[in-house]
Amino acid sequence: MSTALAFTDNEATITYTSRLMEEDKLYFVAIGGPPLLGILLAKQLRAPAIAYVVEDGTIAPQVPMPTPPFMIGAGLASSRAVAWTDMNTVDFHAGLGYLDYGVLAAVQVDQYGNFNSTFTGGTYDHPVRRFGGPGGATEIAALCWRTVLMTRLQKRKFVNKLDFMSSPGFLDGTPRARERAGMPPGTGPYRVVTERAMFGFDDATRRMKLIAIAPWTSVEEVLADMEFAPIIASDLGVLDPPTDEELDILRTQADPTGRTIAGEWIMLEETDAGLRRVVTEAAT
Amino acid sequence: MAVVADTPAKGGPTIRILDEGDGHYRPPDPDGLRAFVRDNKDRRLVDKRMSEQDAISRFVEDGAYVSYDTNVWRRGPSSLMREIIRQKKRDLWLAAKFSAHDATLLTAGGCVSKIDVGWMETGRVITEAMNAGTLKMYEWTNGALAYRHLAGALGVPFLPLRYVGGTDVFRNSGAKLIEDPYTGQAVCLVPAVNPDVALIHVNQCDIYGNARVFGPGLAPVETAMASKRVILSTEEIIDTAEIRKHPGATTIPYYIVDAVVEAPFGCYPGTVPGLYRADLQHLMEFGVAQMQGKMDEYLEKWVHSVASHTEMLEKRVGLAKLNLLRSEETHTEGYYT
Repeated sequence: MSTALAFTDNEATITYTSRLMEEDKLYFVAIGGPPLLGILLAKQLRAPAIAYVVEDGTIAPQVPMPTPPFMIGAGLASSRAVAWTDMNTVDFHAGLGYLDYGVLAAVQVDQYGNFNSTFTGGTYDHPVRRFGGPGGATEIAALCWRTVLMTRLQKRKFVNKLDFMSSPGFLDGTPRARERAGMPPGTGPYRVVTERAMFGFDDATRRMKLIAIAPWTSVEEVLADMEFAPIIASDLGVLDPPTDEELDILRTQADPTGRTIAGEWIMLEETDAGLRRVVTEAAT
Repeated sequence: MAVVADTPAKGGPTIRILDEGDGHYRPPDPDGLRAFVRDNKDRRLVDKRMSEQDAISRFVEDGAYVSYDTNVWRRGPSSLMREIIRQKKRDLWLAAKFSAHDATLLTAGGCVSKIDVGWMETGRVITEAMNAGTLKMYEWTNGALAYRHLAGALGVPFLPLRYVGGTDVFRNSGAKLIEDPYTGQAVCLVPAVNPDVALIHVNQCDIYGNARVFGPGLAPVETAMASKRVILSTEEIIDTAEIRKHPGATTIPYYIVDAVVEAPFGCYPGTVPGLYRADLQHLMEFGVAQMQGKMDEYLEKWVHSVASHTEMLEKRVGLAKLNLLRSEETHTEGYYT
């Protein structure tokens, strides 16, 4: 498996997320988008038996590859499932504790892993940018044992204060804050994955903690793109870039129309000092 | 073996409300629904077939709270929504639980003043209407809205749930956080919703409204049960003898239903899985129209300049396209097999 030298930010984030996924866990995802691609990549490449549940009540489908265009409006997204139920039923399953991981995309995230998918800029009634809303993310982030968030590493996304808290992380970070708000104990954010940094959460303070970075960036560069300063792990891991094999599956099998994987290009070159990002006109 | 604790003594702590949202919401009214059902819903097997024009004009009033299932992308009542726009219904309050661009279409048509949102496709139309003050949004979540419909369907005023609390969704909603009298833990309550009218697109039903919905869904059954009036659009009308042969396939029984509108391709431009795929070309046309601020032209072409769903299919979509959409929906497993 050779390391790819050109990929999009979304491809990188999906790849890193995919590598977290294990066959003995059950996943809860939205109907389309980056989290589902992470699962499809893992299923195709190394863990074919991974099961996932979709908000529309589909349980453990086997989506044919290559996937159909416009998954969110395609019957094939639910094909060869073990059950077709409905939204309340799968939310009940999550509430009972069957769903290990919720994997979700976020517009904005704060240091306690709370996140926004509602609006940015202006006010709730007069937003500058209005997004689709919490969708199922609020129940998924509250009820699954662990939540994995996917987003881009940008200062306007890693903020001190969310424009709107659509979905819960550790709330104000105080002990048992989630339980006091009515959520089941033992749940909460687990990872925040971006194209060049991965975060966990500190057990004691519940603050976000940088745990791995891509080899072509530095801690300083990562911190420069965040409003708040995360805790930094003493044993920082390395996010190996996507391999050619991973990208091939993403581009030809999981998202052949390129709708979800499209993004900002990251071009790398191999130097004596290791991988370095090439910034060119063509790369943006 | 598990140890079963004794039933606690009665007269424990009274229920305390720990926190409440500030949102405006449709108050639950289970007794109102019961009385409405007693006085207005026909218990006899009566033929409920009618045109989309009649169904919408009889059962959708200005100011109504409207809920639909699923959405314009998948097994949604698109033809009924176009008729609402055609009839220039006003001041509707929508339940957008995992909606698509349905809410945008109805808003562009001038029909909507309030939306309870879980998720919906947003864009220029919604943002502009919010900023103009003609559209007010109330934030919920997909699950919370489906669950509010479940409470409505159970005929109870509220249900407890273990999410929403602690977020700005809670702050902007009609949810409450209470101390549960059984465990002493905090638990959230959400109010039931009993829509004035439900629009549900189904795969098959008979003339009385005994309906079959195939495939995964959002909450078609809860939505129908929770609502005062229920309009079904259906891909096909089947014999009651066929219904009685497979009673297990019926998910909505006739007495809940007020109108049966025969609407093949009723979800167009979306898909009814197992029957026809979505028309991606049309969805792109819609997207471009919205981005360019040309929603009026789009609505003129697809809604106002045609008198009915049938005329839209004939004059705007065409038989060749319809046949293509059918032939390219190759996945039928689990639906009609």
